[in-house]
Amino acid sequence: MNRWNLPDLGVGVGLRTVHFAHILREHPAVDWFEVLSENFMQMGGRPMYVLDQVAERYPVALHGVSLSIGSTEPLDEGYLRQLKGLARRTRATWVSDHLCWTGVLGRNTHDLLPMPYTEEALRHVVSRVRQVSDYLERPLVLENPSSYVEFADSTMPEWEFLARMAEDANCALLLDVNNVYVSAFNHSFDPNVYVDALPADRVVQYHLAGHTHRGTHIIDTHSDHAVHPVWELYARSCRRTGNVATLYEWDENIPAFDVLLAEANKARAFRVESGAAARVPAAAAR
Amino acid sequence: MSLPLERLQRWMQSVVVHPGTVEDAVADPSVEADVPKDRVGEVILPSAHLAPLERLEIYHAMYPLRMEEALASDYTALKHFLGDQGFFRLVEGYVQAHPSRSFTLNPLGRHLPEYLAGAHVKKRAFCQDLARLERAIAEVFEDEERPALDEQAIAAVPAEAWEHARLRTIPAFRLLALRYPASAYLDSVNDEAHRHPEVKRQDGWVAVYRRGYAVYRHDLGRAAHDLLTDLVAGRTVGEAVAAAMRRRGRARPQADDLFRWFRQWAAAGMFASVELP
Repeated sequence: MNRWNLPDLGVGVGLRTVHFAHILREHPAVDWFEVLSENFMQMGGRPMYVLDQVAERYPVALHGVSLSIGSTEPLDEGYLRQLKGLARRTRATWVSDHLCWTGVLGRNTHDLLPMPYTEEALRHVVSRVRQVSDYLERPLVLENPSSYVEFADSTMPEWEFLARMAEDANCALLLDVNNVYVSAFNHSFDPNVYVDALPADRVVQYHLAGHTHRGTHIIDTHSDHAVHPVWELYARSCRRTGNVATLYEWDENIPAFDVLLAEANKARAFRVESGAAARVPAAAAR
Repeated sequence: MSLPLERLQRWMQSVVVHPGTVEDAVADPSVEADVPKDRVGEVILPSAHLAPLERLEIYHAMYPLRMEEALASDYTALKHFLGDQGFFRLVEGYVQAHPSRSFTLNPLGRHLPEYLAGAHVKKRAFCQDLARLERAIAEVFEDEERPALDEQAIAAVPAEAWEHARLRTIPAFRLLALRYPASAYLDSVNDEAHRHPEVKRQDGWVAVYRRGYAVYRHDLGRAAHDLLTDLVAGRTVGEAVAAAMRRRGRARPQADDLFRWFRQWAAAGMFASVELP
């Protein structure tokens, strides 16, 4: 159990526009939905109507891409105000974003750009996480990014940065095991070392997804089924954290809802049962 | 080469959003002010397979694709008309002039209709009309939902009060005067057969609005458009009608038009309220 007693929401999927009609009509048997925060801010039309309906029926967590917690720009107060309002309106179980920066000089690249893992960056991020958590009146949940560059300035590995950040800022972690796999290939580290190094009692959510292997590097595209090593990594981490809310992300070439849900439900086979060690069933692996 | 976080982020962003190649980006004098191009290897490490510049290129290449994807979702018909390459070139120039400064990509395309006035695209005036129409559709999709004025509320207004009444439209409502058949072109893009209208000068007027979470277009004549424009501007029903009857030619409604229009517009749910003096 995590240190905040945040609930294990079970296995969920992301709420995406292409599935709106299906979800409202069929009320599919999914444990919870993750909602991309920015897609519902400043929106008064059908998206908000759908979200209200979904939040009535299912647990919801907010997941953002524009908090830009690592940016040297000041935090956007207007953004935080709207985020807090959306969290209240949807009764979100928690609010998450990424360990990254998205822009400076007033510009938003809408990319999750990587941080250098330095003492300066750590102090900067910890200070901002505390500000955001105080404002939101709940522990912020931060996700490990996938990345394609490493900075020469970095003085510690990403997993050490995350662990120290979580401890110093008292925040929770969203562990994206696909991101760990992607970055491990791109930066030639052992993904097992990564997941074993994170503080298990701070992990409140998992992300699973597919990616695109380009030979020389892997891009985190959320465009496919998850590969077998990602499921193995998930199972390994579940043995440390116990059962934690798990979410399958699919954002490109989004399939029919039933296909998405079937992929997400594979996670059930890997979750820990009555304290028994999780294993990787061959049938679930591709 | 050790960089403070602020300088590192400024440099990396300048490279990522640069309109040229990644080689052009790191050699740009404004970018080199933070990191000389021959020292990039001291900032970005190589991977087992890629050199530092090749790793940066991953972010640099994804930036315009992400912008294009966001704009294409709002400007489907414009992209269809310009073709993939033509639209991508337009986006590359546009995001340099109007980069995203919002936490969401939704408003990214709001300046595209004006930007097109100076852009090098075929049939530029038609493109502007098409972009204005698609922008209006995107905006009303997101606007606040407000219940429409119902028949009972309209019937409750005493006949003698209408002259001084002001009709307020729902927030999700836009009026457009077009010089080209943009609305017909949009229909033809949505139609599988793609039987496009000829792109030649042809005035048209259209109301774009949302009702029941669906977006509608209502073709108008010049007289109806001008009357609605006056109502949207806050003139009383009496003032707007009097102004309409003073117009000449196509801009002047026929005597029996007015009652029919008001009934159609109210039934379509274009009005949110009626204010009485």
